[in-house]
Amino acid sequence: MTLRRPLKYWAILKTQLLNSLAYPADLASRSLTIALFMWMFVQLWRATYRSAGQETIAGLTLRDTLWYLMMAETIVLSKPRLSRTIAEAVKNGEIAYLLNRPYSFLLYQASVGVGDSLLRLALNALTGGALVWATVGPPPDPRGWLLVLPAVALAWTIDFCIAAMIGLIAFVTEETVAFEWIYGKLMLILGGVLIPLDFFPAWLRSIALAMPFACAIYGPARLFVEPDPARLLSLLMIQGIWVMALGLLLTALYRRGVAWLTINGG
Amino acid sequence: MQTVHVRGLRKTFITRRKAPGLRGSLRALLRPERQTVEAVQDISFDVGEGEVLGFIGPNGAGKSTTIKILTGILHPTEGQAEVLGFVPWRQRRQLAYHIGTVFGQRPQLWYHLPAMDTFYLFGKVYELDDRTIRQRIAFLAEAFEIQDLLETPVRKLSLGQRMRCEVAASLLHRPRLILLDEPSIGLDVVAKQCIRDTVRHLNELEGVSVLLTSHDAGDIEALCRRVIILNHGRIVYQDEVSALKRRYLTSKLVEVKYAEEVATDFRVEGAETLKVGRYGVKLRFDARETPAGAVMARLAEAGDLVDVTISDPSLEEVIRAIYGKKP
Repeated sequence: MTLRRPLKYWAILKTQLLNSLAYPADLASRSLTIALFMWMFVQLWRATYRSAGQETIAGLTLRDTLWYLMMAETIVLSKPRLSRTIAEAVKNGEIAYLLNRPYSFLLYQASVGVGDSLLRLALNALTGGALVWATVGPPPDPRGWLLVLPAVALAWTIDFCIAAMIGLIAFVTEETVAFEWIYGKLMLILGGVLIPLDFFPAWLRSIALAMPFACAIYGPARLFVEPDPARLLSLLMIQGIWVMALGLLLTALYRRGVAWLTINGG
Repeated sequence: MQTVHVRGLRKTFITRRKAPGLRGSLRALLRPERQTVEAVQDISFDVGEGEVLGFIGPNGAGKSTTIKILTGILHPTEGQAEVLGFVPWRQRRQLAYHIGTVFGQRPQLWYHLPAMDTFYLFGKVYELDDRTIRQRIAFLAEAFEIQDLLETPVRKLSLGQRMRCEVAASLLHRPRLILLDEPSIGLDVVAKQCIRDTVRHLNELEGVSVLLTSHDAGDIEALCRRVIILNHGRIVYQDEVSALKRRYLTSKLVEVKYAEEVATDFRVEGAETLKVGRYGVKLRFDARETPAGAVMARLAEAGDLVDVTISDPSLEEVIRAIYGKKP
C-alpha cells in the first residue's frame, strides 16, 4: 500500500510520455522552433561579435554565447504549458475530475509536466545542439552535459512552482493570459532567455540575479558553458532555497485556492 | 447504512452582475453589483444500497450542484450530507476511493491514447495491483462489450463507443456508488440505449448504487425505480417512477382505424379529437372523467373498427405537466 502511493505518480508520468509519443508531429514542429531561433541567434551574434571586433564580450566568446543560448532555449521551449492547462481545466470543468481522484492535484500536474518535458528536452537539445555544433563547433566543455542535469531539474521545479501559482489564479478569475504574458517577458529579459545576463550593466544584472527567473534559465545555461563543480554547488544552493520558498508559497496558495473553489463553485 | 443521506442541503452562490454593453461593463468595474443565486434550496433525500435514483430537471435546476456537493468538490452553504459514511467536503480524498463519477460532456479518458492505457493508469491511481487491474479490465470489457475498442486511440471512437469506455473507466476501482451527471447528453438513440443497458447491467451484477442526473426522461424511465424532480433548486416531486406515472398519467391517447372513410368533423363525447385522417382518428381523454369503456363503446358505435391502440403519454409530457404547476 505504501509503495503504491508514489508509484501512481510514476504511472501518470509514463502515461504522459506515451501521450507525447502519440503526437509526433507536435514534437517535431517544436524542435523546428528551436532550430529557427538558433539560426537567428547565430546570424545575430556573429554580426555583433564581428562589429565589436572583440574575441570575447563580458568574458564570453561567440561559441560560449551560442551554446549558452542553445541551453537557455532548450529549457524554455521544453517546459509544459502548465498555467494554461490549469486554466483550461477550470474553464471546461475538467477540474471536477482532477480534484476527485485519490492523488495530490499538484503532484499529478508535476508528473504530467515531467512526462511532457522529458522528450522535448532531449529533442530540443539534439536539434538546437546540432545546429550550433555545425556553426561554431562543439560545446566549450563536454562535462557541461552532465553537470547541467541536476541544475535543469531544479530550474524546472522553480518554473513549475511559478507556473502553477499563475494557474491557480484561474480558480478565482478563470483567466490567466495576462499573468502568463508578464511571466514570459520576465523570463525573456531577467531570466536570460534573450541575452546572457553577463551582457547586462552591473546594476541590472544584480537585480536579475536576485530573482528566481535567473535560477530557472541563466543559472543552468551559464553552468553548461563553464561547468565546474563549485559553480554547480553554489547554483544548486540558490535554486534549492528558491524551490523551498516557492514550494511553500504554492502549497499555501493551493490550499486557499481549493477552499475558494469549493465555496464559490467552478 | 444509507449510501447517500442528505438533509436540508442548501447552496448559495454569489455572482457578479453586469448590464449589457460597454457602459454596463464599465459600471460593473467601478461598482460591481452582486447577485445571490440559490442553486440548491433545502434538499433532503436518501439513496439506499444498490438503488438507482434519478434526478431530473431543466438546466439550472441544481442537479449538477448537488452532484458536486456529494463528490466533495463543493462546500454546501447549509445542511448535512453523508456519502458511504463520509462527509464529502471534509473527506474528499478518502471518499474518492469508493465512488466513481461520469460527467457527460467532460471526458476523463486520454484523448490520444487507447482506452486501455487510461484504464491501467486509473488502476494505479486507485492503488490496485496489476493482477486485479487485468481481471477488472477483462470483466468490464465483456460487460460493456468494448473488447475490440480498447486498443484504439480514443479520438478514433464514435461518441457512443467512447461513452461506454468512459463509464467503464469510472467503474475500474469497483466503486460502491457511481454518480452519473448527464451521461447520455449529445448521444444518439442507439448509444443512449447502450449506456442505459450497461448501467442497469452493472447495477444488477455488482449491486453498485447509482445516482443519475439527466434532462432526458427516457434515461430515468429506463433505469430508475425512484425519481426526484428538481426545479429552481427545489424538489418538486420525489417518489417512485410508477407512482409518478399513475398520478399524473391520467390522460390516455387512443388511435383508431375504421373500415370506411371517416367524417372530417369526427367527434366523440368525452374525448378531444387531436387528428383526423382518411380512415383513422387520434383522440385524448381523461380517464378520471370519462371511463375508458365509455369512450371505447362510443368509438365502436361510430363505425366498423379495424384497429385500436391506447397509450400513455411519455414521462417527458408528465414532467412538463409538473413544471407547469407551481410547486
